[in-house]
This record gives sequence, C-alpha cells and structure tokens, in this order.
Amino acid sequence: MTPAISAAELTRRYRGQLALDHVTFDLEPGSITGLLGRNGAGKTTLLRILAGHEFASAGTVTVLGGSPVENETILRQMVFVREDQTYPDLKVGQAVQVASWFYPNWSHDLAGALLEEFNLPVNRKVRKLSRGMRSALGIVIGLAARAEVTLFDEPYAGLDPVSRQLFYDRLLADYAEYPRTMLLSTHLIDEAAGLFERVVVIDRGRIVLNSAADDLRGAATSVSGPAIAVAEFTTGRPVWNRRRIASQESAVVAGTLNETDRARAAALHLRLEPLTLQEVVVQVAGAPAASQQERTSA
Amino acid sequence: MNTLTSVARYQWTNRLGLVILPWAILALDFLIAVMIVGSLPAGHGQPRYAGALASIYVVLLVVGAGTIAQQLPFALALGVSRRSFYAGTALLALAVAAVYGLGLTLLQLIERGTGGWGLNMHFFRVPYLLSGPWYVTWLTSFVGLALMLAWGMWFGIIYRRWNLVGLLSFIAVQALAVTAVLLVIGGANAWHSVGHFFTTLTIEGLTGLLAALTVVLLAGGYATVRRLTV
Repeated sequence: MTPAISAAELTRRYRGQLALDHVTFDLEPGSITGLLGRNGAGKTTLLRILAGHEFASAGTVTVLGGSPVENETILRQMVFVREDQTYPDLKVGQAVQVASWFYPNWSHDLAGALLEEFNLPVNRKVRKLSRGMRSALGIVIGLAARAEVTLFDEPYAGLDPVSRQLFYDRLLADYAEYPRTMLLSTHLIDEAAGLFERVVVIDRGRIVLNSAADDLRGAATSVSGPAIAVAEFTTGRPVWNRRRIASQESAVVAGTLNETDRARAAALHLRLEPLTLQEVVVQVAGAPAASQQERTSA
Repeated sequence: MNTLTSVARYQWTNRLGLVILPWAILALDFLIAVMIVGSLPAGHGQPRYAGALASIYVVLLVVGAGTIAQQLPFALALGVSRRSFYAGTALLALAVAAVYGLGLTLLQLIERGTGGWGLNMHFFRVPYLLSGPWYVTWLTSFVGLALMLAWGMWFGIIYRRWNLVGLLSFIAVQALAVTAVLLVIGGANAWHSVGHFFTTLTIEGLTGLLAALTVVLLAGGYATVRRLTV
C-alpha cells in the first residue's frame, strides 16, 4: 500500500539550529498516529512541512502520492489547524462557514453538533475566545472537514477534561464512519493513548521511536524490589533507567518479558509493572542525546 | 465550488476593511470638504478643488496589505495553496476596483449635474486625471484603485514573511529604484524629453502606464507569495 504520508531524510535547518534531522517515516492511509515529543522537539515544524506551510531544507515529503508544496490537488484534501492558528477578524460561525467552502466532504451536521457540544458561541469574535475555546474551534473545523489527511497540532491545548473526552469520542466515532489518515501531536499521552494505532516520538529533531501502539504496551517493564534481586534479574538485559533508595531498587527493562521471565521475577520477589505509553515516551524522549541510538532499537 | 471563488468569497467576509473603511473615510473627507468650501466666500464661478479623493486610494493600499497579512494563515490551514490564495485575492481586488471605480464615476456625474454640490466644488473631478468622459474616468479610477490594492498586497506579503525589517527594506528598495531612474535620466541629459513625454501624455496613455505598473506589481506579489511560510 502506498503510504498516505511519507518523509525521507527530511531536514529543516534554521539559523544555527537543526529543527529536523534526517527524519524518515511512513504512515499508512486510514490510521491515527500520535506525534509525541518534548517542547521544541520539532513536532510543529514537521506538521508545517507536511502541510506545505513550511519548506524543507533537504529531503522529501510525500503526501497522498505527491509533494504537498503548492500542490493544489493534494492540499485540497488536507486540513491543518494549528495550536497557534491565527484567524482573521471573523465570528466563530463565520470561521466555520468559511472552512465549509473549501471542503467537498464538509459535514454541516457534524460541525453543528460539535459547536453545540463544545458550547462555542457562534456570534462571538474568534479573537475574543479563550484559549480552550479557540482549540475547540480548531477541532470543529479539523473534524468536520473530513479531509483525507487531517493534521492536528496540540488540538486540545487549554481544553477542559470534559471537552477533551468529547474530542476523543467524536474523533473515534467519525473516524470509524469516515476513515482517513490522522496525525496529531500531543503532550497528554496516556489520555490520548487509546486513539493511537501508531506512535512516532521525535526528540531534538530526530525520530527516536516509530512503532505500532500495541507493540509499545509492555515494551518496557519496571522491575522493583531488593537491589540484589533486581541486579540479578536485569543482568544481560537492556536497562533504561535505574533508581535506588537504600536497599530497594527499581529498574526499567526494555523488551517484552516471557512467562519464564515472569516466573523468575516472582521467585525473586520482584514487582513487575508494564510501563504506560507516556512512561515509555518519557524514557525514550527524556534520555540524554548520547544514549539515544540504542534506545531506538528497543 | 472553484477554489478561486471560494478565496474571493472568504476575502469578501472582511467587509470592514473592504467596504466600510474606504467609503466611511471618503464620506468623512467629503463632509469636511463641504464644510470648508461652504464656509469660504463665493469665488465668482472659479472651480474650488478639494483634493481629498486621494483618501480612498490610500485606504485601499492599507486594506490591500491586510488582505494578505491578516487573511492568509487561515486560508493555508484550510489547504489553500499560496498561488490560489493570491489569485483569488487578486480577482476580488480587480472586481472591487471596477465597482468602486464605477461608484466614483457616478458620484462625479452627480457632482457635474448639481454644479459641484451647489458649491462649485470639485471633489470627484480632478483636473487632467479625472476630467474626461465618464468611461475614461471609470477606467482611470479602476486602474488606480487596482494599482493601490495590488501594491498593498505585495506589502502584505513582505510583512507576513519578513516582518518590519522586510517592510522597511522593501520601501528602501523602491525608493532606491526611483532614485536610480532619476539619476539615469539626469545622467543622460534626458529631462527635456521626459518633460516632453509627460506634458504630451494623454490621460488614456497615463492610464495605460498605470495598468502596466499594476501588472508588474501583481506579478511581483505572485512571485513573492510562493516563498511565504506561516
């Protein structure tokens, strides 16, 4: 299958800074991918280049089979509402109406329902909205557009928990009915973990993890107990992190554990806890640059 | 719907900039002119020139910059290419210039018909520039307004892309270009023929020159907008 989104050796340099460093990945059509990473890791730059808002310094980007840069047929099938989206002097209702003119598959029903559920005041000026409300407006436009490739950058910055849950529910429901390729960056990893089929982690402009979300659950395990027992258990295994308090130690072991491993851990009186997606990302993206290479292979 | 017409429709949502601002300021200037001219002693049938018609041209220069600087980011978010955005915006600018030019022509007809609003005031009649038959007035107004919008649009692109520094550099480059032309004319001792050219230039000829300049400005904006990032 041709990937819906594909980047090869994508590099973006700004004066004295490497925002993206030889980024290479493919995303299958009809999938939801989480783009994760720390502040300044390069998430927004990557999304902007995918959407054709910014240009690559080197490397190629392919969206729906072609370069998105000034490519009318491809751009018409994309929507990218940014976290810091600037709107002209429009009311909420007008902004939604304007967006509807640009998308052949636009769903007025969905837009109307979402506006109501997010309690968005249609007659208020967009620039008078709070941060959370502006995020909600971006979600309304991004979802109702039903664009083949839907990009979200921090879609729920400032949104309350009820609205965030609403976003997850609505996104999944609409995605089930109208599958499309979605890529969304977020910091609320565990909360959104249920959405993702694939997770791409970017750090300092480089892809440090690109994996199916299911493979990541249980990809690393926290092992804790008496230091001697932990040391014995972890010998010969890749260890991401160790923490010791007095005679107790806790270590993060990469790789899946089989039945024998579990039995052995039980015999050593060790506690095993699989890392959540968020913990995995913190381990991977929070590592010092030097040790990152080995972690990618995990 | 065609992308270009969608872009034009999107731009047209900016009624404040495109409609209210230019006409409100022109109306205000007109009222001020009426008050001033009306308070002056009658001048034995001599025409009394107001000269405030220029305000609508200046406002459209600023409005043209706004059509890019303020409206572009949202259009790009909605998957509009820079080229389509620029072309749709230029189409609307031409339509606006044509309709507003006609409006100014109609106002000029009324001014003529009412003896200068009963005050012998020349507000919509400008010697040489807007004094011929109505269709020439319309054409000249159309070209003049379109030129200001196109010029402003280019300013808007430069500002969006390179901010204040770019804007100032852009102005400096234009000033340098004008200076260079003047120096070349001086160096070639050609002032005499230049003077001759302009004194014999008809308003139709001038309108043609302005139209050519408008095309140059539009082409420049089109070339620059492709490098814009948001």
